[in-house]
Amino acid sequence: MKTPSATRTTFDYRAPEDLDGLADALGTARGAVSVLGGGTMLVPDISHGTAQPDTVVDLARTGLSGLRRADGEVVVGAMTTYRDLLTTAPAPVPLLRRLAAGVTGGPQIRNRGTVGGSAAFANPSSDVPAALLALRARMRLLSPDGVREVPASDFYTGPFATVRRDDEALIEITLPDPGAASFGYVKFKLSVGSWPIVTATAVAESGGGLRVAVGGAGRVPVAVMLTEPADPADPEWLAHIRERVESELDSVGTWTDELAEGTYRRRIAGTIAARSVAALRGDDERR
Amino acid sequence: MTASTPAAGIGASTRRRDGAALLTGRARYVDDYRPHGLHYAAVVRSTVAHGRIRSVDVSGAETAPGVVLVLTGEQAARHAGPIPYFISPATRGGREVDIRCLEPELVTYVGQPVAAVVARSRVEAQSAAAAVRVEYDSLPHVLDADTALLPDSPRVYPDWQDNVVFAKTYGAGDAEEALHGADVVVSGEFRIARSTTAPVEPRGYVASWDATDEALTVHGSCQNPHQLRYMLSASLGLAESAIRVVTAKIGGSFGLKMQGLPEETLVCLLSMLSRRPVKWIEDRRESLMSGAREQIHRIRVGAKADGTITGLVNRIVADAGAMTAQAGWAMCNMSASTFPSGYRVPDCRVELRLVATNKPPLSAARGFGKDAAHFVMERAVDLVARRLALDPGEVRRRNFIRAGEFPYRTATGLNIDSGDFAGLLDKAQAAIDYPAVRELQRRRREQGRPLGVGIAFELTPESSDSPGTFVSGFDTTTVRMSLTGRVTVLTGVTSPGGGNDTGIAQIVGAELGVPVEWIDVVQGDTDRCPTGFGNFSGRSMVVGGGSAALAARDVRATLRTVGARLLERDPEACEVVDGTVRSVSEPDCAVPVPEVAHAVLTRAFAAAAEVEPVLESTRAYKPGNIDHRPDELGRIQPYPTYSSCLHIAVVEVDAETGKVDVVDYAMAHDCGTMINPDLVEGQAWGAITMGIGSALTEQLVFDAGGRLVSDRFKSYLLPRAGDVPEFRLEHQVTPSPFTMHGNKGAGEAGVGGAQAAVANAVEDALAPVGACVRSLPLTPPVVLDLIEEATR
Amino acid sequence: MQPIRLTVNGDKHEVTVDPRDLLVYVIRERIGLTGTNVGCLTGDCGACTVTLDGRTAKSCSVLAVTADGSEIRTIEGLASPAGLDPVQEAFWKENGFQCGYCLPGMLLATRELLDEDPDPAEEDITRTIDGNLCRCTGYTTILRAVRTAARRAQHRDERPERP
Ligand SMILES: Cc1cc2nc3c(=O)[nH]c(=O)nc-3n(C[C@@H](O)[C@@H](O)[C@H](O)COP(=O)(O)OP(=O)(O)OC[C@H]3O[C@@H](n4cnc5c(N)ncnc54)[C@H](O)[C@@H]3O)c2cc1C
Ligand code: FES
Ligand code: FES
Repeated sequence: MKTPSATRTTFDYRAPEDLDGLADALGTARGAVSVLGGGTMLVPDISHGTAQPDTVVDLARTGLSGLRRADGEVVVGAMTTYRDLLTTAPAPVPLLRRLAAGVTGGPQIRNRGTVGGSAAFANPSSDVPAALLALRARMRLLSPDGVREVPASDFYTGPFATVRRDDEALIEITLPDPGAASFGYVKFKLSVGSWPIVTATAVAESGGGLRVAVGGAGRVPVAVMLTEPADPADPEWLAHIRERVESELDSVGTWTDELAEGTYRRRIAGTIAARSVAALRGDDERR
Repeated sequence: MTASTPAAGIGASTRRRDGAALLTGRARYVDDYRPHGLHYAAVVRSTVAHGRIRSVDVSGAETAPGVVLVLTGEQAARHAGPIPYFISPATRGGREVDIRCLEPELVTYVGQPVAAVVARSRVEAQSAAAAVRVEYDSLPHVLDADTALLPDSPRVYPDWQDNVVFAKTYGAGDAEEALHGADVVVSGEFRIARSTTAPVEPRGYVASWDATDEALTVHGSCQNPHQLRYMLSASLGLAESAIRVVTAKIGGSFGLKMQGLPEETLVCLLSMLSRRPVKWIEDRRESLMSGAREQIHRIRVGAKADGTITGLVNRIVADAGAMTAQAGWAMCNMSASTFPSGYRVPDCRVELRLVATNKPPLSAARGFGKDAAHFVMERAVDLVARRLALDPGEVRRRNFIRAGEFPYRTATGLNIDSGDFAGLLDKAQAAIDYPAVRELQRRRREQGRPLGVGIAFELTPESSDSPGTFVSGFDTTTVRMSLTGRVTVLTGVTSPGGGNDTGIAQIVGAELGVPVEWIDVVQGDTDRCPTGFGNFSGRSMVVGGGSAALAARDVRATLRTVGARLLERDPEACEVVDGTVRSVSEPDCAVPVPEVAHAVLTRAFAAAAEVEPVLESTRAYKPGNIDHRPDELGRIQPYPTYSSCLHIAVVEVDAETGKVDVVDYAMAHDCGTMINPDLVEGQAWGAITMGIGSALTEQLVFDAGGRLVSDRFKSYLLPRAGDVPEFRLEHQVTPSPFTMHGNKGAGEAGVGGAQAAVANAVEDALAPVGACVRSLPLTPPVVLDLIEEATR
Repeated sequence: MQPIRLTVNGDKHEVTVDPRDLLVYVIRERIGLTGTNVGCLTGDCGACTVTLDGRTAKSCSVLAVTADGSEIRTIEGLASPAGLDPVQEAFWKENGFQCGYCLPGMLLATRELLDEDPDPAEEDITRTIDGNLCRCTGYTTILRAVRTAARRAQHRDERPERP
């Protein structure tokens, strides 16, 4: 075991108040930079020495929170908290509202944990990344060189790894306005306090077809396109969705951590995916 | 006995006395003590599971900012001796090793303290500790008890011939013969994984060495202040009179904070050597290392066709981890001797082996080993019921010791004082509406949704006494009344959160005839309280309450005598009620107790002439039924009372994922007379929840190198509010004939019963596919495997 | 080191902190309010809960520098000179605690819930309490206490003024 240790040396702290200030802070930061969102993961990691930044760039004062509609899109500020998702009425993205309601850790975590933090952290077991994949979101990254956009499907490169460079911060997430499209969201956990083991998001796309994204089971979130079944309980269709999900998982590799083996996650992934489709159709009381 | 205000007397649910302080954040836990000049300690721990320390390089730490002291094991050994065992294995025919506050030579688990740092701030201490470089010559290690028993296994302690710490056989009769003659024999191997108690407050100590007076003051989160004082005096070579131990408000303990752990001596030594007050508060990752239980049982049970159990043979392999001076290692004794629980099984044989492995040691844990016996025994009873296609409730009824048979001596020698076990089953079944639940189960099965009902009986021997050890079956209390009638109760028992001070005040109020508001209870201070033994084994209300009552009666007698004189009445015709001494026949002829107290202490040669003018008494209370004289089979009887309870759990199993949800839960409970029913209920619910946690999610997981992987609450999953149903609790009162108030211990009951009820319920849910539950915890992957195995 | 300003339970404080100092330790050791407890330092137990600009937060997961300029309420600030908050009263009445170590999270999260919704659904009560670990009570009495407090919260006139 590692001896409990705090960050050995202290770090520079920058709290820019707008995007120009943020770009400047990212460009002039000393050494290894950590971008601080709500801090629910990063601050404990700093106190346990698992993150040892030289500079912390705190987004708290950048005004990057909130959801807005623009040109057929919804823009989610990186600092939008789960609480913001729950209290913004009417909810521009009902799926994200549903997701936020299921985030554990109590109001304390929902008040401070951010969509951007979860998206950037890229923990395979988090709720947000797979949902963003299902929603065909694009990640907007700011660096001293300007802004670039990366689709969620290209953003995740591995567990806790993304294409984001060290001098970039995720500032916004944009997604096609889902309007009133139906969706299903199901997450499976070992107990109330456990990380999600497998999450599944089903979205009925405007062009027809079902997009189902699965998180937690693979090293990165995966998505499959399916045609909507006549009967989501049909064994043949269940076998089909299972097979599609499993083959996607096999191509990215399954995720194992101290809570569950990859083999277990793979075993139940198809079931949870099928449940998300049933939830989308409103005929699963188990959720 | 006279009663004071009924709302506060025995049997009343008086609200907690310390409530206001706790609710407003004024209560002081150990981390809240900050003596002037305080420094902080951090502990350097072994990174290998087994090895010899080759070198310890402290140069980086010594020069780190804020550091005032770096101590290695070798240096510590020059100043501190081995830590005395709470219960010595050697005196029980087992093996011992020296336990040091910092290990100088041979490390036997990842996380063992090997060096320590004192610095100005917590952060500086931790940074400096990380800079200490320790090199090891690694030795082969063994992490699993079965493997550790193999002849070619690495030996945890190289000078031992094998890894067995302790072995003993318990029981009476001829169990093999009984199995031979049985109509059916069921058997199984049951495994209980390692879990931990995890109070929300970790351990911590603040030691202040006064170099001028050569006196040591220790504030600690500790259940047993007097034992800790003795232990520190032995390991540090100080007179006991030079040490004051004060237990702070404790943020939960459940056995973890019983003394005998290396950091207790260590923090004191660091204070003495650095000549500064030193604080060490355990990190959660350190706290989660303490094991609570880990055993394998291989059991065979014989029964007649009607369900009567005739014989039982069990072989237990208990995994000790590395050795500890704490009481944790001894829990396996109770696992063995609690068989065959509350059932009439005269032919019974239990073989126990306690085995060392290269994992962290066990610390005492709520249940103290009895939990394992209940999980296994109740599984076995269910196996009998299943084999014979009988209702599990009926099989229990058939085998229970009958209400008229008490006191009843079990095959392992326990002398169960009293109870009505079938009555508990009736009550629990009524509480859960057993026929209705079975009907629900039938309907759910038709829908393909597995629902199961699990029954478990639990017998909880409490208030134990272990001869020659600190596990004491009696305790001592002083009751002192001041000139103004204020009452101070100084007691040897402590309260790690359960609130027994409230119960003790209720008893003293009732015995003394004064309102509880007049009473202050002082606990956990070796300079103020009489020598006592603290908290363990559900003893506080039995022996703390008993001794408080005896002392209060002495004071009451003096009050009555002198009060009667003031009233010019015969003492025999007077009583002390509601804070007055009054004539029984003329209630208006009364004098307030404060006036009487004043008279006793200021008019010793007038009103109190010929009376010893002391309003203070120190009394010990020894309950009955304990007997350490071995009988013809060598069995002793260490417990005065046996609480009992019956659990019924209803679970739903998600057959596609293996997830188990506890949807309903009832427990019928008998702890004799209840001093404060709310306190009893609170303890029961907490224990059941802990049992459900270890039955479903809690597990300490180690990697192949012996490193704890489940080292935070994200990977060691405690139950949260949404994980447990609201409990239904029924009380039954069969007073103990052997304790003063008829009460039995309350507090430990619940863990093993909940584990067993949940396990039995899961198996019941999966009965249609024929799965057999053999291990805990029943995590979703485990349950899914069970289902697949059974349907294959 | 950098100076920050905090208003804690109505009192203004200016303290100089290291950027790595956690808010919980600044409150406990610099401002001297030790009612906020530490149980895990990973955001899981809730014993370190405070209210930060009106919203509960786990103060082990907030850097003190981030909190610069904010209004903080701790467990010590829940009662008023007029007496205990109804949430505290309800926890006392229902025995919603044993050792009391989890109380900062339990009380402040309940207060926040009832301020937003005086008549919360059962599911919302559980989701509120789920952020806090309690190892002593088994939660039954805690949930009862929240319900009792909620019933009282509906009779606003019975509630003493809070600062
Ligand atoms: C008790 C508890 C329960 C939880 N339950 C859930 C749950 O149910 N589901 C779930 O999915 N998660 C859960 N979490 C994880 C939760 O912390 C994250 O989901 C949260 O959203 C992270 O956001 P944050 O702003 O706090 O991130 P931070 O801790 O601030 O940051 C996390 C990581 O992302 C980086 N980062 C943050 N923001 C940005 C940005 N804008 N640009 C670039 N990098 C950035 C940081 O440097 C850091 O590496 C839980 C956590 C706790 C403590
Ligand atoms: S100490 Fe902050 S959540 Fe546990
Ligand atoms: S009362 Fe002890 S942790 Fe909640």
